[in-house]
Amino acid sequence: MDTYLWITSVAGVYVAGVVFVAGIGWRIYEWATTPKSPVRLGMFPKPATTGGRVAKMLTDTLVAPHAARIEPRMWFFAMMFHVAALAAFVGHLRIVQEYPLLPDLLGAEGMNAFAAWAGGIAGTLMMIAVLYWIGRRTFGPFKNLSVPEDYLLLALLLGVIIMGNHMRFFGHVHAAEYREWFQSLLAFRPHVPDAISNSNVGWSLGTHMLFVNALLIYFPFSKLVHTIGSFAANYARSE
Amino acid sequence: MEAQQLTTLTGVIDKKMNRQLKQYMDICARCAICKDACHQYVGTGDFTYLPARRAELIRQIYKKYFDKAGRFVPALYEARDPDENLLDELYESTYACTGCRRCMYYCPFSIDTAWILSVAKAILIAAGRGNEMLGQLADAAIFKGDNAAMFEGVMLSGFEDISEEVRAITGNPEHQVHVNKEGADILYVALAGAHSIRPAAVIFEEAGESWTISMFEAANYGYFYGDAEKARLITKRYIDEAKRLGVKEIVVPECGHAYRVAEIFYEAWSGEPMPFKVSHILEKVDEYIKAGRITVDRDKIDGTVTYHDPCQIGRNGGVFDAPRDIVRAVTSRFVELTPNREQQWCCGGGGGIVAMEEFKDVRLKSGGKKVEQLKASGASVLACPCENCRLQIEELNEVHGLGLEVWQVIDLVVAAMPFKATPEADAATM
Repeated sequence: MDTYLWITSVAGVYVAGVVFVAGIGWRIYEWATTPKSPVRLGMFPKPATTGGRVAKMLTDTLVAPHAARIEPRMWFFAMMFHVAALAAFVGHLRIVQEYPLLPDLLGAEGMNAFAAWAGGIAGTLMMIAVLYWIGRRTFGPFKNLSVPEDYLLLALLLGVIIMGNHMRFFGHVHAAEYREWFQSLLAFRPHVPDAISNSNVGWSLGTHMLFVNALLIYFPFSKLVHTIGSFAANYARSE
Repeated sequence: MEAQQLTTLTGVIDKKMNRQLKQYMDICARCAICKDACHQYVGTGDFTYLPARRAELIRQIYKKYFDKAGRFVPALYEARDPDENLLDELYESTYACTGCRRCMYYCPFSIDTAWILSVAKAILIAAGRGNEMLGQLADAAIFKGDNAAMFEGVMLSGFEDISEEVRAITGNPEHQVHVNKEGADILYVALAGAHSIRPAAVIFEEAGESWTISMFEAANYGYFYGDAEKARLITKRYIDEAKRLGVKEIVVPECGHAYRVAEIFYEAWSGEPMPFKVSHILEKVDEYIKAGRITVDRDKIDGTVTYHDPCQIGRNGGVFDAPRDIVRAVTSRFVELTPNREQQWCCGGGGGIVAMEEFKDVRLKSGGKKVEQLKASGASVLACPCENCRLQIEELNEVHGLGLEVWQVIDLVVAAMPFKATPEADAATM
C-alpha cells in the first residue's frame, strides 16, 4: 500500500505536474509563435469594438449558445460536465487551503457534510455526462468519427471520477487529512498520513491519482487543449 | 507511399500552416455538433460530408507529420499518410463543400472547416487531383485576361447592345454603359453576362452615378479551384484596372464569392492592402433608394416576396440589411425564410459546385432544407443575389415544382422603377 501510494500520490503527482505545466507551456508557445492566418476568418455579425469581441468570445466559449440551439441534449450534458468539473475543482482547492468563512459558519461537521453533498452531486453529474459521451460514441456517425484518443480520454475521465466518487461515498476520510498529504507535497516534504493509508480509501486515492496523473500527462498532447484553445479560436470568429 | 509525393504533400501543409489552422487541428473534440449544421450531411446522411470528418482527413496527416503526440503514437489518432485512399475521400468531401461555413457558426470552438478545406484543395492540386473543370475555368479566365485585346471587339459590341437595352428601358437617350472611363468614381466589376450589367447600368445611370466597367469580370474560379495564385491573378486584373482608371471605389455585383474575394481574401493573397473601398452593389442600391437618387414604386411586383441570404454575402460577408431594405422598398408583402440571416441554410449551390457535374446528385439532395424553407415561407417570388444560389434554386424549383419566380435583387429594383419610356420597356427588364 505504501509503495502504491508513494508511486501514484507522491512521485506520480510531481511527474504529472511537471509534464502538465511544461506541456501546456509548450503548446501555448507553439500557437503563439506560429504566424496568424493571413485571411481574417471572422464571420458576421461581428462586434465593432474590442470589448464587444472579447465579450462575444467569452459568451461563445463559456456558454456555447449556438451549440445549444443545434443540439440541445449534447449541450446540456456538456454544460453539466463542465460546470460540475469546475465545482469539483473548486471543491478540491480545500486540500490546498481551507476556505475562509464557510467552515466558520457551518462548523467542522457541517462543512464536511456540505462538502459531501456538493462533491457527491458534482461527481455524480460528471459521471453521468461521461457515460452519456461514451454512449454517444457507440453508434452512427459519432462512432465513425471517433478515434482511439476519444475513448482513451473518456476512459481516463471515468477512472478519475469513479475513484473520486468512491472516496466521496464510501470513505470516512475528510479534507483535513487530504490537506495534510497535499500540503506536504507542496512543501516538498511528502508524506501520506496514516489516516489515509490505513483507511478503506487508501487504494482509491492511489487509483484516483493514477488516473489523474495519466490524464494530466496526456492533457497537453490531446484534444483537451480545447480548454485553452477555444478562447483563441472563438476570438478569431470575430476578427 | 512514394517519398517524393509525401514530401510534396506535407510541404503544402507546412507552407499553409498558421496559428488558426494549428488550433483547429489541435482542439477539435470530434463532438460532431456540426453534423446537423451541414446541408450536405443533412441532405445525404453520408459520413463523407460530415464537416468534422472532412477536417479529420487533414488532421490525420497533420497528426502524423506535424504533431509530436501523433508522431509518437499515430494509432491513437488514426494518423496516416496522404495515400490514394485518403486523397479519394478528400477529393469528394473537399470539392463538394460549398464553403458556407454554417458548421463554423454552430461549432462551440468556431472551427472554420472551410479554411481547413482550403488546405485540402492545395494538397489535392499538388497531388494532381484538383478538380479539372474548375481548373480549366480558372485557366480560361487567366488566358482571357492575358489576351484581353483579342476579346475587346466582341466585348465592346456587347456593351453597346446593352447600352441600347438600357436606353430602351429608361427612355433616356443619353444613358449608356461606360467602358474604361478614366476618372469615374466607381468601377463596377460585373459578371460576364448582360443580366449582371444591364440592371446595374439602369440603376447607376438613373442615380446619376459616375461609374464605369472594365474588360474584367468578378467571377473567380481560381478561388473555387483552391489555387491562391490563380485566384490572385484573376482578382489583380480588375484591381490594376481600377488603379489605371483612377476610381475611388470598387463595386462588386450580386455574386456571392466576388464580394468576399475583394473584401477579405485579396489582401491576404497579394500581401498589399486593398487600395479601394469595396462595396456590394446592393449596398449602393440601398444608398440610392434611401437618398432618393432612384425612385421605386412599391408593389409593382405581384406576390409575396422572400429573400435568401447567400452565405458569402450574409454570414461570410456581413451584408444582411441592405438587401432586405431594398426588397421592403419594392414590396409590402415581404416574408423572411426561417432560419435567416447568419443562420440561413446554404442553398447547396456555392463554392463552384454547380459547375461540377459529378456532384449534381449530392447538390440536389443537399437543397432539401432550402426547399423546405421556401415551401414554408409561402412566398411566390424569391429575391436571390448570388449567381450560384440562383442556378441551384432555379433547378430545385424545377425538380420540386415549387412554382417560384427567382429574381436578382437588382432586377426587382428595375422592375419597380418608374420610367419615362413605353410600358413595353418594363417587359424588357424581365
